[in-house]
Amino acid sequence: MALPKPAAGPDAKSVMTDVDYEKFCEFFYRKTGIQFKENKKYYVERRIASRISAVRAESFRDYFTMVRFQSSGEELQHLVNDMTVNETYFFREDYQFDALVDGILPAVVSRKRPGDRVRIWSVPCSSGEEPYSIAITLLERWAECDCWDIEILASDIDSRILSEARAGLYSERSVARVSTALRGKYFRPRPDGQFQICDDLRESIDFSMANVVDRTQTGRFRDVDVIFCRNLLIYFDDIVRRQTAEMFFDALAPGGFICLGHSESMSRISPLFLPRKLRGSIVYQKPLSAE
Amino acid sequence: MVLVKQKTPGSESPGGPEVVGRDALLAALESDTASDRRSAARELAAFPETAPALCDRLAVEQSPSVRAAILMSLIRIGSPEAAGRLAEFLRSDDATLRNGAMEALQEMPDALEGHVDRLLADGDSDVRIFAVNILSAVRLRSAPAWLARVIRSDSHVNVCAAAVDGLAEIGGVEMLDDLADLRRRFAGDDFMEFAIDTASLRIRGR
Amino acid sequence: MSNASSSPRHPQGDEVSGRGRILVVDDGITMRLYYRSVLEAAGFEVEEATNGVEGYEKALASAFDLMIVDINMPKMDGYAMLRAIRTDPALCAVPAVTISTEASERDAQQALRAGANFYLVKPVGSKELTEVALMVAGRSPR
Ligand SMILES: C[S@@+](CC[C@H](N)C(=O)[O-])C[C@H]1O[C@@H](n2cnc3c(N)ncnc32)[C@H](O)[C@@H]1O
Repeated sequence: MALPKPAAGPDAKSVMTDVDYEKFCEFFYRKTGIQFKENKKYYVERRIASRISAVRAESFRDYFTMVRFQSSGEELQHLVNDMTVNETYFFREDYQFDALVDGILPAVVSRKRPGDRVRIWSVPCSSGEEPYSIAITLLERWAECDCWDIEILASDIDSRILSEARAGLYSERSVARVSTALRGKYFRPRPDGQFQICDDLRESIDFSMANVVDRTQTGRFRDVDVIFCRNLLIYFDDIVRRQTAEMFFDALAPGGFICLGHSESMSRISPLFLPRKLRGSIVYQKPLSAE
Repeated sequence: MVLVKQKTPGSESPGGPEVVGRDALLAALESDTASDRRSAARELAAFPETAPALCDRLAVEQSPSVRAAILMSLIRIGSPEAAGRLAEFLRSDDATLRNGAMEALQEMPDALEGHVDRLLADGDSDVRIFAVNILSAVRLRSAPAWLARVIRSDSHVNVCAAAVDGLAEIGGVEMLDDLADLRRRFAGDDFMEFAIDTASLRIRGR
Repeated sequence: MSNASSSPRHPQGDEVSGRGRILVVDDGITMRLYYRSVLEAAGFEVEEATNGVEGYEKALASAFDLMIVDINMPKMDGYAMLRAIRTDPALCAVPAVTISTEASERDAQQALRAGANFYLVKPVGSKELTEVALMVAGRSPR
């Protein structure tokens, strides 16, 4: 039996029945891979209620029909933007960036000729801290940076957060782990206390929208040498994780690497990649002989 | 500046999946190129009637990534027919294939249900063990009762051991008596005594 | 998390007691607990993994004197795990024992070909397990 939730605003009155909730979750899961358990009903319902009033729908049913059948997909995108957890910051789990310059990239370029392309894909990139951290790390710490044609791609399902990433404006909290020296070099402080990432860096990263469970959106990512996929798979169930891993397999060049978040492991997901220990970090490699 | 911005690489599959028909996909499933077989296998999930063809391919497929794609499509198809064909792989000597089939069956509870009785009655104890392993991990309300039936009726120690293992995860208090009976049947076997005691403790929530 | 990963592989002083570290790789919970209880009683330190990929990962993360590997496991079976480990320069020398339910000669061959040093067939009694562990990994206690 569900107890009535404390009212938290004008919309908090139940807008959807348990069956509605179940149906919605089913739909949202199919579209995004993101799963909401029963205990998230309040969270989900509040966000739906505010979208219902934003578009002035009559009822949940009307609204749900709109989300499902709107040809532009605009309202679904709104919902996705509202429902995703975008938390991130500069140099999060930075031991992995050490592994990138000291272990992963040397392994990647050992099979290339100087001047060849090295392609790195940060997905999900959220508001951009991760791909910018990667770029700064390469510039600062990878001696061979100049010898290669480095391409950093960055994607997220959330269109609003992507525009923040492109704008490159960050709070004090987000740059807390950036040293003063690096702040001076790559950021411009603004009168409002925020930090703006420098234009050169902003222009060097290719941000694009991509839903990892949608093959039509991920098909264009090919021959990637290193994928950073951190703190995404935790939101997925087994099947979608596996599907995502298989998509990464297609996107990676033979011998390419995947870096996951520190609490995540490929071991419960897929055997297609082999674990490797590089500079103390466990990363996953697509076998060289895979194709 | 050394980092260069490139346009996101262009699409590589001209035509797109919609225009490729089922038969073309079935043909592509036999292609010499693993990536072609992989994408064909993936697209065939939209055609449930191709489950037997996918299984035929699975039986000879050597590339792990193509196998993974085929298994994923069979899960998506999720028909009793697909489950029945997958269950045949439990007999395979190829451990990777066998385990892949088991994992897929665990993801298709409704399709699996109709095959359980037959698998648990199989003459090969290894097939029964694999069936028990599947039941231990599948989302089926009836799974614990099936496992309880195994420990009441199967005489093979390893089949019973596998069922005890499953019950340690999903068993209920109503199975404690069956476990106690089983312990008497295998009295003196170190492992069985240990496993049954462990399962019973876990079921009691300790 | 145990602090096991920091213990040196080949103890030279008094810091490390016991007979060595064993990685048990099996998807069955009662199996893992059983191996753990038997091997700990024999003086080994035990770590667990639930499938081949996780076993491989744990083997990379810290040093072991022996791996006990079940054959039938999800994601990556025991044969595949051993084959992968045997091509990894860091791990190719770690002794391994496989455990399977199949008793036929062909499976034994397959285990040895995949890189096992020894194989056992279920059900494995505590005495047998201890003996094999001591033989393959054992070093005399201090
Ligand atoms: C917690 S952030 C992780 C950001 C960064 N990788 C990090 O570790 O700091 C999770 C991001 O995943 C994105 N996301 C959720 N589902 C997605 C999907 N199906 N495809 C692509 N991105 C998704 C969300 O929009 C959100 O920005």
